[in-house]
Parts: sequence; C-alpha cells; structure tokens
Amino acid sequence: MTGRALLAPAALATLLALAATGAPALAHHVGAYVPKDNAVTTNFKQVKFSVQAEKFDVALRLFETGPLRAEMRAHAAALPSGLEDGTRAALATGDGPEVERRLMIFFAALSRDLALEADRQIARPDATAETRVATGRKFLEAIWRYYNLVDFAVATRDNTTSVAVRLAFDEAEAYVKPAATVGTAPADPAGLRKPLQRIAQVLSTLIELSSTPPRRNS
Amino acid sequence: MMEADSPTWRVPPRWVLLVAVLMIVLAEVGGGAMARFKVELTRWARDGMLARPSVHGLVGVRDVDERILDEALVKFDAGLRLFHMHAEGMGLVIIATSMVAATVIRRAAARRTIIALLTTGGAGYPVGYLAWSALIPSYGLERSKTIAEWLVWVPFGTATIVALWCLAGLVAWTMISRNRA
Repeated sequence: MTGRALLAPAALATLLALAATGAPALAHHVGAYVPKDNAVTTNFKQVKFSVQAEKFDVALRLFETGPLRAEMRAHAAALPSGLEDGTRAALATGDGPEVERRLMIFFAALSRDLALEADRQIARPDATAETRVATGRKFLEAIWRYYNLVDFAVATRDNTTSVAVRLAFDEAEAYVKPAATVGTAPADPAGLRKPLQRIAQVLSTLIELSSTPPRRNS
Repeated sequence: MMEADSPTWRVPPRWVLLVAVLMIVLAEVGGGAMARFKVELTRWARDGMLARPSVHGLVGVRDVDERILDEALVKFDAGLRLFHMHAEGMGLVIIATSMVAATVIRRAAARRTIIALLTTGGAGYPVGYLAWSALIPSYGLERSKTIAEWLVWVPFGTATIVALWCLAGLVAWTMISRNRA
C-alpha cells in the first residue's frame, strides 16, 4: 500500500470525526449557569451545620463575624425586636431549637419583604406585561432561595403555614411560566399578585406567632 | 515510487498558515489577558450592566439583582474562556484540514474553495464567543447571544461544517476511484 493510499483513509476518518462533532456545535454551547449561594445563605448554612453538630462556640463565631448578623442589623426595622441579640444569646447558651426558631423568623421576614416588594413592582402600570412577568419570576426565585432554607423548620412548627406558602408559591409560579403549548394560558402578571400577597400575609402571621418564645413546662 | 503516490504532505498556502498561527497567538494572548485582567474585566462588565438596568431586568433589590448579575458575569467569563479554547482548537483544525485538502484534492478550484471556507470559517467562529462576551453588558444575555449567533456563529460555523463534509466526500471519492482503478 502506498503512502497516499494510507493517507486517504486516515484523513477521511479524521474529517468525518470533525464534521460529526461539528454538527452539534450549531447549538452554540455557551456554558451552563448553576446558581450559587450568596453570602447570607452561605453563612446561614455554616451556622446551622455548626449548631446541628453542637459546636456552639464555632456557630457563635461564624454568626458574630459573618454577613448573616450584618443582614439582621440592616433589616432590624422590619424584624421583631431583639431578634439579633436573642440569636446571639441562644448561640452563647447552646440553645439549638431557639437558634433555629430565630433564624426561621429572619428568613421568613426576608421572604415576606421580597413578596411585598414583588407585589409593589408588579402593580406598576408603566411596565409591560412581559417585564412584570420577568420581574415576578426573578422575585419568586429570590423568595424561594430564602424560604427554602427554613421550610423544614416552619413545617415542624406549623405544617399548615408551610403548606399554605408552598401552595401560594406553586400558584405564583404558574402565572410566570411561559406557555408550554398552544392553547395554554399565557403568563399573567395580574394573577401573580394574589399568591404573592398570600405569601406575605401567611409569613407575617408566622413571624408574629413565632416571635413569642414557646412556653416551657417546668 | 511515482510523484503522485508520494507520502509527503503538501503545505497549505502561506496565508492559511498565517491565519491559523494568528488564531493560536490570539487564543494565548486572550487566555493570558483573561487571567491577568480578570478583576478589571469583571468590573467593566458589572459597571456596564449596572448602567443599563432595564436591559438586564434589574429590579433594584439586591437579593434579586445579585443573582442576575452573577449569571451574566459567569456567562461573560464563559464567553472569554470559550473564545480562548475555540481559537486554540480551530487554529490547529485549520492547519490540519487545509493540509489534507492541499494534499488530497487534485482539482485546483475545489481545493481553493474548500481551503478558503475552512480558513475563514475556522478563524471567524471563535470570534463569536468574544463578541458575545463583549456584547453582554450592553445587550443582555439573550440578545447578545442572538446577535453573535446570526452575525458570527451561524455563517462561519456553517462554512466550516460544509467545507469539512465536502472535504470528507472528496477524500472518500478519491479512495473509491483509486480502488476502481
């Protein structure tokens, strides 16, 4: 077999491999985005896992130096009074359930504030329906990112509230999802307001009821 | 051994080699610059996005906006990385495929056309990633992707793929005719 005769099959195989792998390139792979935790949720998880491991000294240090406490201070006006001091005290005394309760209140308050702001922005008449739907979708992502962190704690204390928030969230999501098939209802920004208001209301009630420490039988 | 059966590879035209080498040089410079000026590039992109809140759908709430900005910055960085990777790879693909075309294809017109398509397509396609990255701060993720697709990826990518299939077909045809003879 001559050199050129050997060259041709090798070149053909290489070209076929290149052309075959080139075809999927029409999809223009541009990388996938995996949402990351922000500083507050990261710090929350650090504190939570330290508490679960009963390393309260570590949890206290992480809380005192981390962005979770800074965020509590920044939102102090919208939070039940003494939430930050109480969280710190519970960490210092090694009271795990009390730490969990206070962090649950904090994240419920963040989620409620986001739901209220979402409702306010979606009600703006100057924005187009597409813009309001996109805004609603982004707010729902942010609400869920915070609420999801404490849903288990909410459910163990008040299952009805947890179910109510989840149902309202599901309903809200249905209003911002693009119509999957012809004939299905299009995204509706006006309809989104009711479940958002319900989320805010249910979480407000939860914060109010949970802000009183539970009685302990002596 | 006859000249036609010589195992020697034929060198593609000089301008083709120049373009390929230039692509590889650009890829290396791009990769180096991406690492060296990472902070400056991120700051530039972030400032560009913050200057156009409506383009990126920013709502003025940090908890919502930080995720939007983060996604855009991740994609901005991915575009630069993909340019670096594709420019390096396509430089080598241009050299390899044009060398096959120069060696195997006998008809001058077909050879010139296929080499031109391979070179322009291969050199243009990676630039799409650079363009996409550069457009993200001004036009947002989806619109900048659409612009890069229709101005760069689709025309240059199609040129490369068409040229590769034509070259594969011609090589196969050469093999078949040789076996018949």
